[in-house]
Amino acid sequence: FSNTKRERKLKSPDVLALPRVQCPNHPDACLVEDYRAGDMICPECGLVVGDRVIDVGSEWRTFSNEKALKDPSRVGDAQNPLLNGGDLTTMISKGTGAASFDEFGNSKYQNRRTMSSSDRAMLNAFKEISTMADRINLPRNIVDRTNNLFKQVYEQKSLKGRANDAIASACLYIACRQEGVPRTFKEICAVSRISKKEIGRCFKLILKALETSVDLITTGDFMSRFCSNLGLPKQVQMAATFIARKAVELDLVPGRSPISVAAAAIYMASQASAEKKTQKEIGDIAGVADVTIRQSYRLIYPRAAELFPPDFKFDTPVDKLPQL
Amino acid sequence: MQGAMTPGMPLFSPMMPYGSGLTPQPVQNTNSLSILEEQQRQQQAQQARTSGQTPQLFHSQAVGGSTTTALPGNTPLFTTPLTPMTPITPATPYVSHLIPPTPIFVSTVNLGCKLDLKTIALRARNAEYNPKRFAAVIMRIREPRTTALIFSSGKMVCTGAKSEEQSRLAARKYARVVQKLGFPAKFLDFKIQNMVGSCDVKFPIRLEGLVLTHQQFSSYEPELFPGLIYRMIKPRIVLLIFVSGKVVLTGAKVRGEIYEAFENIYPILKGFRKTT
Repeated sequence: FSNTKRERKLKSPDVLALPRVQCPNHPDACLVEDYRAGDMICPECGLVVGDRVIDVGSEWRTFSNEKALKDPSRVGDAQNPLLNGGDLTTMISKGTGAASFDEFGNSKYQNRRTMSSSDRAMLNAFKEISTMADRINLPRNIVDRTNNLFKQVYEQKSLKGRANDAIASACLYIACRQEGVPRTFKEICAVSRISKKEIGRCFKLILKALETSVDLITTGDFMSRFCSNLGLPKQVQMAATFIARKAVELDLVPGRSPISVAAAAIYMASQASAEKKTQKEIGDIAGVADVTIRQSYRLIYPRAAELFPPDFKFDTPVDKLPQL
Repeated sequence: MQGAMTPGMPLFSPMMPYGSGLTPQPVQNTNSLSILEEQQRQQQAQQARTSGQTPQLFHSQAVGGSTTTALPGNTPLFTTPLTPMTPITPATPYVSHLIPPTPIFVSTVNLGCKLDLKTIALRARNAEYNPKRFAAVIMRIREPRTTALIFSSGKMVCTGAKSEEQSRLAARKYARVVQKLGFPAKFLDFKIQNMVGSCDVKFPIRLEGLVLTHQQFSSYEPELFPGLIYRMIKPRIVLLIFVSGKVVLTGAKVRGEIYEAFENIYPILKGFRKTT
């Protein structure tokens, strides 16, 4: 059984020029890749068309021959073709023996530095995006979308003068919106060093540069997050969602930010249930001032009875709700 | 052509130079059909009425009448006077019962010499200077009621005047104040930079609907600003539209642009009136 080492082959970016592997019997069939064995298999007839195909995943170790304690072959990190445009570099590490240092004590072979200089800023930004997303536990798909957006903006160069961190934060905000799980500007501010004003400016600029638009935020987008951060049971969360939606439908809160309306709805729902939360607690989670919650609450309080869902179990009846 | 002035028809002459090109069209044409119908109806009405007038007049009227957005309840009949067309303020306001926004003027002028802001702030009346907050002296005069920002380079911004002439007069007054304080002030490059107008359409507006249909022009982010920012392309004006029905128009270089922008936006806003 031959060893299972893989060698990395230059994957030319322009794939169309190279002859594609095809099944001789079924030229139109799309080959299935069996990456464990490194084969390309035709799904129609099962013929193994390509053998020893290159695996571009992250590097892996071989255990086939036990004699070799060290595995000197290295193929490096997983290839990220979508975002880096073919990053193939060789890095020479610092030597360990005496021969790697010249007379003055400096190490020979100092070329640790020049590594894909054209995209260094982009790689830095990806790292920053990954850090920011990690702080608020965003899933991989949002991070990927953010990276894509950043790449598009970066290549366009229309926002070149802006701080990369600001653009990265704004891309993160847009990605969350596009995935249908918007985060408030304040939440993004909390994990970024950029001010809300600057993120807002970059956000508008990016939308213009990429010629996209995003959906308007609604109160329901934030309910599950705010309520679970406050530790409210599902009943209260559903009630709050219903209240907020009804309040917007009845146009009781014209011109108010959906976040403020959501916070006021949560306050009303929690005050009517067994789990009462103060305005300050809700304000801390939602990022709104407690006077803002008070204002919105005053607007929805007069019609509180109609706003609750019909099957809601009141711990505190509607007429005993606090009046601010 | 004898003076065939049908009584009671508003003089619509100023619309001729402005009515063309990129009046904002919504993405999903919920309103344009009704606008088109009204335009056709108006054209037919005009055709019926102008049978007695010269064909030349009819032709120019058809050109002028159809490219502007038709306003319901306002059938413009272009009766040409014998005098050449001059943009005059019409006897009846443009949009039937509404008052067109009166613009406030912002102008700049170069006084032509370096100024010492500290002496100006100390010696002049009604001047405030807070260098940590802003690097200019803020001076106010009562007649015409305006505010000026005077910078140490000698450049000055004058805001708050109600007409072009008043803005120039006010700028001259500020220059005189600076001159009296001992600086060799001149009056170079006076230019009206911007006009701001605010008005009220008198009904609440559904901003969410407006941002859906006019996506390429509008930006509505309640987290950032409570009003919708509408960037009209022709004329190039930025409008801030609020839920209450108040509209702020800015970015105009000539007075007519503000009026024209308001004319353009009014039918669109009527389409998004809140019904409750």
